[in-house]
Amino acid sequence: MEKIEPGEMVRRLTGFIRTEGRFDSVAIENFRKMPGGASREIWSFECAMERGGETSRRAMVLRRDPGAHNISSNRRHEFMVIRAAFEERIPVPEVFWVSEDPAVLGSAFFIMERIDGETLARRLLRDDTYARAREVMPAQLAEILAKIHRIDPVKHKLDFLEEPGDNAALTEVRRYQENFRVLALEPHPAFELAFRWLLKRVPKMARKTLVHGDYRIGNVVFGPEGVRSILDWELAHLGDPMEDVGWMCVRAWRFGNDQKPVGGLGSREDFFHAYEKASGTAVDPEAARFWEVFGNLRWGIITIGQARTHIDGFLKSVELASIGRRTAETELELLNLIE
Amino acid sequence: MQDRPTSVELLEAAADFVDRELVPATEGARQFQARVVANVMRIVAREIKMEDPLVRSEVKALARLLGHDAPHLHSLDDLRAAAAGMGEELTAKIRAGEADDGGWRGEVLAVVRQSVEDKLRIANPRYLESDIAIRNAAKPQKEI
Repeated sequence: MEKIEPGEMVRRLTGFIRTEGRFDSVAIENFRKMPGGASREIWSFECAMERGGETSRRAMVLRRDPGAHNISSNRRHEFMVIRAAFEERIPVPEVFWVSEDPAVLGSAFFIMERIDGETLARRLLRDDTYARAREVMPAQLAEILAKIHRIDPVKHKLDFLEEPGDNAALTEVRRYQENFRVLALEPHPAFELAFRWLLKRVPKMARKTLVHGDYRIGNVVFGPEGVRSILDWELAHLGDPMEDVGWMCVRAWRFGNDQKPVGGLGSREDFFHAYEKASGTAVDPEAARFWEVFGNLRWGIITIGQARTHIDGFLKSVELASIGRRTAETELELLNLIE
Repeated sequence: MQDRPTSVELLEAAADFVDRELVPATEGARQFQARVVANVMRIVAREIKMEDPLVRSEVKALARLLGHDAPHLHSLDDLRAAAAGMGEELTAKIRAGEADDGGWRGEVLAVVRQSVEDKLRIANPRYLESDIAIRNAAKPQKEI
């Protein structure tokens, strides 16, 4: 991938926004790289736009591919899913422009509204500022999730979303089994045991819906009052809505707050109940458990994939490299769940 | 024979510098990366100290589980290769369904848990300690 200095990025971005938004003039200020985003680069800036004498200002975020990567996804598709969620009044950033032309910024990207707030789960779980947020967020997250699962892919022309086949659970297990076989550099008997456990307990697919695919505390912007926005829609697909429910219960998002399995915030029972109330559909605890085990396994395989991104030289990063040594955390949790 | 400080002492000195000087002097993405760097150096220091006895006992446990004679190996490279080879043998058996149920499953789970815990002793001992504490708290208390 072409290496572009931030100054040059600003110059190109200014031209891109002027053309795309048909503005007379555009000025970008305070352009800076944001922390996090192990798989995508995030840049934050203020944008002043002028058209026909009228000026406007928006805080914006640029989400850009870092080049070649193990987990591929499509920026335009993500852009369209977020737009659909926005139109259905789900709290998401307003999306503005998308480009897959490498001539603009070297790789695919899109630009959206910047939602101010906190995303660090550790602060949510520990700081006094967020005491109220901790109370209200489990129910809010269940209600938002029920809304996400009601998005009509046909109405929003999301026909690019992958079909899960007759049984999303089996499709997902097989998909991650293949990923795992390709990615793993060492034997992982704990993961093999988890795959056997899952294949014997594949639940029936009660409903087929849009699935967020990465619905967890780390992808939520929050304030002292609670949820402000849901981020990171790049893994959205069609499937079993219980996949998102199980993913919320994965141990890695509890940051040590293990007595509260749902994101370190609340109990499974309360979360399931709030989801049932909001969606009008029952949560089968056994299906939810299947998806929780699958979620932990999936996270474990992702940690191997992130380490491979570094090891194979796609993206050299001490953060990605160190994630390779977190795989064992997931292995231990899987043994706890399946023994 | 190298002079003191040992590799572990050097790594710990470097990790202390990162924690005490670099982390407070940086913010945002860089501060996070600095913390990761210090953590990585502490992982390597623990690995230098502990890998040898851990991989020795892992090789012994895997050999017993798979019904092999315990190999007499000395070099760390040979021990790692033996652990990886027997690990492949074990995963092939699990994939074939041999550990799905029955008495052997319990033995497999115990050996696999030990290997996973040994990885965490190096990668994240605090995670392991907290997991053990949670499991003990969840166990029904024995009457004295």
